[in-house]
Amino acid sequence: MKSKQLRKLLDSILVPVLAILSGLVVMGILIVILKKPLFESYAILFSKGFGCEAYGNCIFITALERATPLILTGLSAVVAFRSGMFSIGQEGQYLLGAAIAAYLGYAIHLPPILHPLVLMLAAMLVGAGYGWLPGILKVKLGVNELLATIMLNSIAALIIEYLVQFPMRGDRSTTAHSPVIDESAQLMSFLPGSKWGVGFVIAVLAVIVVYIYLWRTKAGYEQRMAGQSKRFALFGGIRSDSAAIRAMIISGALAGLAGAIEVMGVHRRIMTGFSVGLGFDGLTSAILGQTHPIGVFIVAILFSGLKLGAQLGLQLKLEIPRELGGTIIGFIILFVAAGKLYEENIARVRDWFARRQGSKLKGESR
Amino acid sequence: MTLAIEMKGMTRYFASTGVLANDHVDFSVETGEVHALVGENGAGKTTLMNILYGLIKPDAGEIFIDSQKVRIGHPDDAIKHGIGMVHQHFKLVPSFTVAQNILLGMEPNKMGFLNQQKENELVDELAKKYNLPVDPAARIVDLPVGMQQRVEILKVLERNAKILVLDEPTAVLTPQEVSELITVIRNLSKLGYTIIFITHKLIEVMTVADRVSVMRGGEMVGTKKVSETSIPELAKMMVGREVLLRVNKKKIERGEPVLEVKDISVADVNGLAAISHVSFNVHKGEIVAIAGVSGNGQTELVEAISGMNELDGGQILFRGKSINEASVGDRRDMGMAHIPEDRMVVGLNLQTTLDENLIVSRYNHSEFSRYGFLLMKTINEFAAKVVKAFSISAAHPGEGISMLSGGNLQKVVVGRELSGDPSFVIANQPTRGLDVGSIEFVHKTLIEERDKGAGVLLVSVELDEVMALADRILVLYRGRIQGELKAATATEEEVGILMAGGTTEDLKQYQKDSKQDARQEATS
Amino acid sequence: MEGFFSVFTVELLNSGIRLATPILLAALGGALCNQAGVLNLALESKMLLGAFVGILAAFYLGNSYGGLLVAMVAGGLLGLLFAFLYHKYKVDLVILAIAFNLIIVELTVFVMRAMFGNVGSWSDPSIVRIPDVEIPLIKDIPFLGPILSGYNVIVYISWLVTIVMFIVLYKMRGGRHLRAVGENKSAAETVGINAVLLQTLALVISGALAGLGGAFLSIGHLKLFTRNMSNGRGWIAIAAAMFGVNHPVGVFLASLFFGFADAFSVRIQNVTDLPPNLVKLLPNVATLLVLVVIALRGKVALSMARRRFRSQLHAEETAAATEK
Repeated sequence: MKSKQLRKLLDSILVPVLAILSGLVVMGILIVILKKPLFESYAILFSKGFGCEAYGNCIFITALERATPLILTGLSAVVAFRSGMFSIGQEGQYLLGAAIAAYLGYAIHLPPILHPLVLMLAAMLVGAGYGWLPGILKVKLGVNELLATIMLNSIAALIIEYLVQFPMRGDRSTTAHSPVIDESAQLMSFLPGSKWGVGFVIAVLAVIVVYIYLWRTKAGYEQRMAGQSKRFALFGGIRSDSAAIRAMIISGALAGLAGAIEVMGVHRRIMTGFSVGLGFDGLTSAILGQTHPIGVFIVAILFSGLKLGAQLGLQLKLEIPRELGGTIIGFIILFVAAGKLYEENIARVRDWFARRQGSKLKGESR
Repeated sequence: MTLAIEMKGMTRYFASTGVLANDHVDFSVETGEVHALVGENGAGKTTLMNILYGLIKPDAGEIFIDSQKVRIGHPDDAIKHGIGMVHQHFKLVPSFTVAQNILLGMEPNKMGFLNQQKENELVDELAKKYNLPVDPAARIVDLPVGMQQRVEILKVLERNAKILVLDEPTAVLTPQEVSELITVIRNLSKLGYTIIFITHKLIEVMTVADRVSVMRGGEMVGTKKVSETSIPELAKMMVGREVLLRVNKKKIERGEPVLEVKDISVADVNGLAAISHVSFNVHKGEIVAIAGVSGNGQTELVEAISGMNELDGGQILFRGKSINEASVGDRRDMGMAHIPEDRMVVGLNLQTTLDENLIVSRYNHSEFSRYGFLLMKTINEFAAKVVKAFSISAAHPGEGISMLSGGNLQKVVVGRELSGDPSFVIANQPTRGLDVGSIEFVHKTLIEERDKGAGVLLVSVELDEVMALADRILVLYRGRIQGELKAATATEEEVGILMAGGTTEDLKQYQKDSKQDARQEATS
Repeated sequence: MEGFFSVFTVELLNSGIRLATPILLAALGGALCNQAGVLNLALESKMLLGAFVGILAAFYLGNSYGGLLVAMVAGGLLGLLFAFLYHKYKVDLVILAIAFNLIIVELTVFVMRAMFGNVGSWSDPSIVRIPDVEIPLIKDIPFLGPILSGYNVIVYISWLVTIVMFIVLYKMRGGRHLRAVGENKSAAETVGINAVLLQTLALVISGALAGLGGAFLSIGHLKLFTRNMSNGRGWIAIAAAMFGVNHPVGVFLASLFFGFADAFSVRIQNVTDLPPNLVKLLPNVATLLVLVVIALRGKVALSMARRRFRSQLHAEETAAATEK
């Protein structure tokens, strides 16, 4: 029984692991084309993404910090996907969540603890509303949720730009940004000089809560069944429409929370160019993480490390453009999608082994 | 007699399902004959024909056409050798016209430009030549099934096929359309065409075929001349033992009505009547069968009763209360169970575990969930209990079900639906695609439910099943109840008349005639 | 108010038609794929690739028309890769589109920076924008002349493609086969039509058209490349294909609608003092509304049919009641 479970686990992570390795091979090819030192590149990528330079000065800590919003937007995508909604609206929900948190961060004044709680709640509400919209459009009218959420993402990005340039603009400096949020609204960090802090703990808690929600509650059961087979859900008496809308609301709330945490824990405000595709990265970590909360957790950290390594290592030390990181992530998703490629070959290898085993047995019986 | 087709030692193993679909099958067909290929579902008939048509590659075996050894790796090869196939699920483009479908892939053209006029003329000629009238300009979506099949046959003839393979051609036809098809087959046979007719309906074999080959469990059991065999002999060859035609059923008093359907109507997607003005009751302790050719409104009727689709008119009472506004979940909570016709997509979720499949209709109940949380342990124990009670071999609590056989999957469905002591069970084609053992299990279980006092609504296109299980038989034809018969006294012929759209007047006439026949026989 | 109405000018029509062109090209490609039964959601990445490769080729070849050609080839090759992954490895087309989207957005900037240093956008004075062409005779037609004439060659190509696609799909053998594949693949295959080939062809052509649409952005409209230059137009093109029910003429009109929405938002920024970011919302909001309209179209047809049935039923009942 135990070995069966282990095997199941191994089976489920085999393709992602092979995809990551393939992505790293693609990276090698690109580096060779650029005539940069291959092995040094790998070494720098990993040491700058996941390593420690000295005790207490770990870049890995920064990777964890960067992973925080990714984990949450990834969970957001997981909840949506697991209800059968192919929503990629995490980016827009994240941005609007960040906007409301940034606004309430300086506009209202509350004691510590309470202030962050209010901000997070507000961001979750706004995100939930922005998730509810494409959800209700899909369920009631049949509007394609993929395209709708793409449009809502663009709309949110433009709204943010408008907000920081006009109503929420702090001062007349060259880059537009909102005023810094109150100290009471800022999230504590664990280490001086680092922004890795309470936000990460919230993300970890969210991983656990989402896991329990999906696999241990009635609501989670309903939305998973509806996501896997609408006809089956209808037949069994599950209201898949409300399950899907509920999933979109939860998904939006998680993405909104990511925005709030990013504002309270890292930037302390929003500025022009705040949107750097974090929502989209969350989506990709959900895909690579097998739409599983724990998978998302691992992949989000991995992606953050890769991007960090590309930025701090490859770009600064070797003058390799940091977009290499994003490119590799794209290729990894591509390889996951082409998982059949591996599965076919794995099956071939297995068959070969089985045949050898078989012929050996035959030989013995004789 | 020359052989049109000879297949020797055909073998095909499906690694994904572990089924040896064809095991050294020998099969030969004489030129110009109508050859029936019979067997139960999963006997290997379709695999054998798909090999002949180049859709499946055999692991071993040789094919001879007109005594020449040939290789058929692709349907194109089969067409080249004069083999044409009319598939069970028609290969037609719905929005295209009849002419466009018949000439698809071989359109007359000038530099790639099409000429609709010429296409219509060609098809008109073709239709006249074989005396199979069709309207070349009609779109396929607007045509009845029998007409669509005719288009398929013309399509094959236009491609110069000399050997026609018809895969279960009567499954979707009304009895009237069946008799038309039989005439068509006879005509083609007279014109020198060789016809292979796949079916599992033995009556049709006896009416139309010259010879018949029987398959069972991937093997060829034997080939007989129709004139030298009988339905019981063929049935025995198919099943491998004597077939029980009647299930043992004790007589019990029926109770009060549990389901009352009052003048209901349901529209299909095009706003046409799928069910119109249907009324009937199902009482406690009786099995009411809805007989009829498939596509006459069975799906819509079942969806309306189970709550999966809205009613457009009329009323349904369940245990005396109107359930028009009740959701699927409400109805299930009231004691309604439902074995759906499609267990793979509707009845089960193959992507999840046995446990989660078993609780879908009752996860809301306090036995399986509390404060919004699922009681995992109880659910697991429940799954173990169902596995044991319904002897679902190969299923394990907590594990997936996608690898189970059709029979075991149906046991999962039946186990879930009947373990809640329902007062009413809808069983829609409950034995479709099952092996004999599983069929017997399902039949036995349904009768047990009836004996326990539940009302059972059996919807089936299999006349044998209807005759064997039902206490009362209602025949559904074009969305209406064509007539009602008492199972104890009804004959298959009587049900057949109603299924073909005959009225109760026709039925009375028939009964009078047959009584007269009997009297004449008695007097003579 | 006067400022508002001064928006409607011939220039608005001109710029609407120009801005519709990249959407139209990509949307025609998307419609072709839909007709062939393959979902092509990766128009965005093909456009972006076309934009980048187009300007790069124009620079190195010293010829902008050559740039257009190379952009089409690049888009077509990406389509070919798609077809290969789809047919050989049964890749989920939605995830494939997302993956390529990410790869192309990052890879184009990666290559740009690897070649030209740490820049956010790139151009070179030697690159020539594709020139506008006046069509003789047509340009002299009063009123219509200035609307129909005076664009660069890509605009005319997009109109030509619309017409050719209509003829091929509905009047020619290959087009009918392609539609047959899209509607019932196995029916087409059993009569010997090579469905894989036709779907591959659709993906390649669609890639080439989207690539050309992308090149319109970088060397036809402006003459520079910036990060994520296609900026969602590929997704809008998908909506345009749906809106135009995959019919070339319908797609043409739908694309014009989106082009005008775009042009309108640009013009309004010039003549009013509304915040530009809010005005830029217009094309996106328009797309969202169109998506709702597309959905309603299907929904209404269905519920209308049902409502008709119910009222018939009701009429029968009342008739029966009055008889009694």
